[in-house]
Amino acid sequence: MRQVAAQVKGFPVRTVLRVLSLSEVTAQWEPDIQFLVLIQSDSELTSLINLINSGLQNLWCLTHDKNLIHDCEFSYVISSEATIETGDVVAVSDGRKYVHVLFRESDAHHTVFLTNRCNSNCLMCSQPPTTQDDSWLVNEALVIAAHMRISPALLGFTGGEPLLLGYKLREILNAFLKFHPNIQFDLLTNGRLLANRILAKDLLNGLPSRVTWMVPLYGHADFLHDFVVQSPGAFEQTLDGLLTLQQYQQNIQLRIVLIEPVLKCLPDLCEFIGKNLPFVKEVALMGCEPIGFALANKSLCKVDLSDWFNELEKGITWLKRASLKPVIMNAPLCSLPRSLWPYAYQSISDWKRVFAEECTTCSVKDACSGLFSWYDKQWSPTIIKAIQESSK
Amino acid sequence: MTASLTLYPFRFHRFEPNGIVAVSASGDYAFLQQADLEHLIENPEMLPIHLLAELQSKFFIGVNDSHGSLRLLASRIEAKKEVVLSGPSLHIFVPTLQCGHTCQYCQVSRSLDDIGYSMSKVQIDDACSTVFQSPSQTLTIEFQGGDPLLRFDLVRHTIERINDLNRTEGRVVRFVIASTLHQLTKEMCDYFKMHEVYLSTSLDGPAELHNRNRPLPTRDSYQRTLSGIELARRHLGEGSVSALMTTTRESLSYPEQIVDEYVKAGFNEIFLRPLSPYGFAKRNERFVGYSIDEFKGFYERALNRVIYWNKQGILLREVTASVLLNKILSPFDAGYVDLQSPTGAGLAVLVYNYDGFVYPSDEARMLAETGDKSLRMGYIGTPLNLLLNSSVMYDLIRSSLVDQTPGCVNCAFNTFCGPDPVGAKEQFGTMEVPVFWTEHCKRHMWLFDFFFRKLRTADEEFLELAYKWAQPINLNPVP
Repeated sequence: MRQVAAQVKGFPVRTVLRVLSLSEVTAQWEPDIQFLVLIQSDSELTSLINLINSGLQNLWCLTHDKNLIHDCEFSYVISSEATIETGDVVAVSDGRKYVHVLFRESDAHHTVFLTNRCNSNCLMCSQPPTTQDDSWLVNEALVIAAHMRISPALLGFTGGEPLLLGYKLREILNAFLKFHPNIQFDLLTNGRLLANRILAKDLLNGLPSRVTWMVPLYGHADFLHDFVVQSPGAFEQTLDGLLTLQQYQQNIQLRIVLIEPVLKCLPDLCEFIGKNLPFVKEVALMGCEPIGFALANKSLCKVDLSDWFNELEKGITWLKRASLKPVIMNAPLCSLPRSLWPYAYQSISDWKRVFAEECTTCSVKDACSGLFSWYDKQWSPTIIKAIQESSK
Repeated sequence: MTASLTLYPFRFHRFEPNGIVAVSASGDYAFLQQADLEHLIENPEMLPIHLLAELQSKFFIGVNDSHGSLRLLASRIEAKKEVVLSGPSLHIFVPTLQCGHTCQYCQVSRSLDDIGYSMSKVQIDDACSTVFQSPSQTLTIEFQGGDPLLRFDLVRHTIERINDLNRTEGRVVRFVIASTLHQLTKEMCDYFKMHEVYLSTSLDGPAELHNRNRPLPTRDSYQRTLSGIELARRHLGEGSVSALMTTTRESLSYPEQIVDEYVKAGFNEIFLRPLSPYGFAKRNERFVGYSIDEFKGFYERALNRVIYWNKQGILLREVTASVLLNKILSPFDAGYVDLQSPTGAGLAVLVYNYDGFVYPSDEARMLAETGDKSLRMGYIGTPLNLLLNSSVMYDLIRSSLVDQTPGCVNCAFNTFCGPDPVGAKEQFGTMEVPVFWTEHCKRHMWLFDFFFRKLRTADEEFLELAYKWAQPINLNPVP
């Protein structure tokens, strides 16, 4: 979760608030939303206090200037300038030295985090699961849905494994579908629990097709996939789940993370997908993030993609033969054969993306995914080199 | 590694003592050596790991509690049966038997001055009602003859009746007219453009061959067909006409020339078909017929020529190859009605004939012309559910189930194929014959063997072409 430094006083634990300026209060006020009002002068503070005293109990004070509220008795947040923006949805708790920014209008990618628990243990997991009860995240997600004042084009749900929330997941989806009638949603899941027909029906029955289910598949036989996700039985459950998603006419993106045991079988895996799962909307081949479990399983996860051109090209060929749409993510152009450049996608979020020194003179930098910002502490997907392109 | 492995049903075909293709219930195949086959059957855990993965992923082997894989397998099988399970989609109208030609192999047609060989408008209206009793969402209305353009009034009547009914039905309807195109006029083209009608004609090869195969008193059949094609393309667009060829004994010597003729005439599809063994063609077999072996040589040379043109950048699809490759390589069945089990005759196709009866296939109405009227399903106007519950339909289904037909049960190709009961009836007078006696079986055993051998040794270039051809476009040509 994105965290910014702040002083917080007097809020119940994890109060979710929408940030806005004083002048916006009149237009946006509604009883069920908590507002964090940005105050920039004494007179504004007086106005806010008047509003609160007149009965608007859901207004709270945010300021960048701690002198403004030196002898203030009510709750407040003090942050330095520009770390919190109006329109942000934030979570605050009394006495903490930070504010969590849960949603920011100006971001290119929006994500709502649903749980850190998971029923798989993937070799290259970028966010290793924990076992603590984190069901408070469910209620928080419901509150976030109401507190977002704009609807971005696309919003992602991530975990952990969101299906572990059971029917609560449907409640979250319903809330977002209700408050944001035009958003498309992405949902990262391993699909395994959809093998449970009763849960699947509760979750999917009547669900509009505005959700894209992003489901990983790492092998064309159970022992290959189950090894990568370190969970016996996962392959059969995921297949079952994919067929259930198709039965309920949901959009599916398959995700294949390119680590060594997966690359070894990539052409066969893609052939299997083309023959058996031709109903998926697209198939994403993704470079591995050098973080989390990937560091612990370095010998299996650290690959130089340029050693695997043959497998990558064959895999894409199988997808094309089945008229499926391939997408390559998290792989800079210099890590791919030119024949695959048309499928490469600028997938790394702005705030995680960097370029190497070699990239300064590269002529295709503008079309490139770049690198995860933590690559230089670990490894990059290939030896980064500038490409000198005479105009194509 | 998985605890216990289960063998799923599969069948195999042997190319040579140590070379095998095995096909599973999903229609996935694997090229195996004898030792692999023995391991697969006796002790699959001994298979090399990559082969074990391949055979698991292709539904030869299952593991404990493979609920996901089994569901997948069921969906694969269901997709293969879609054509015969979703209701008749190809509806053939034979508005008239009149034709200008007097082809030596033609089964049925009558000359222009014969009367009483046409449908009535009442019969057409009744047939149109039956069409919409089918639950199929896509409907192809195909006109055959004779030459339907000789009775353009009946064609128009049918198209308008179908469109009227479809205003409330909202199906996807496609019209195709099989014709020599000799009678085609600009006015007809304007009408076809308005109603999105496609044309299908016959082109047997170069002028001399075509004219010999399709005699006219004026000896200009080739020229007139080509003029018709040009007229249609000018008014209806490049893709508005397709053509079919019939291979006569005469044709066997000109495989390359025939293919080249299609390239020259600007077609992107050619259907290298053997002569239909039915009707008058059978009677004249001594003069126009040939053995399957003779056709094989012709087909291989012609197909090589098609591949040659594709290598030159000329897109030309061979339909027989496309049908077979679709069966072998694609999970989606293109719906070719002659290779279904149970049979596509009746279940996927219905023919409304000029004689007032409904038949299960084009071949069945040809058979009636030669005297065997036993395949009539009922009068035109009989409700669809009665047609599909007729004793003819029961006989057709009973004798076309690969799981129950001796000879098919153990055939490696039975997930792709199906017996042809109408053909058997024609060839032997009964549907109850050993399936491997039938011309249909012999021809397709050869074709499956031929294409699996090609795939076994294929280079990437051929595979690219093969997968392109395997895409399920509508492969039911107008016979």
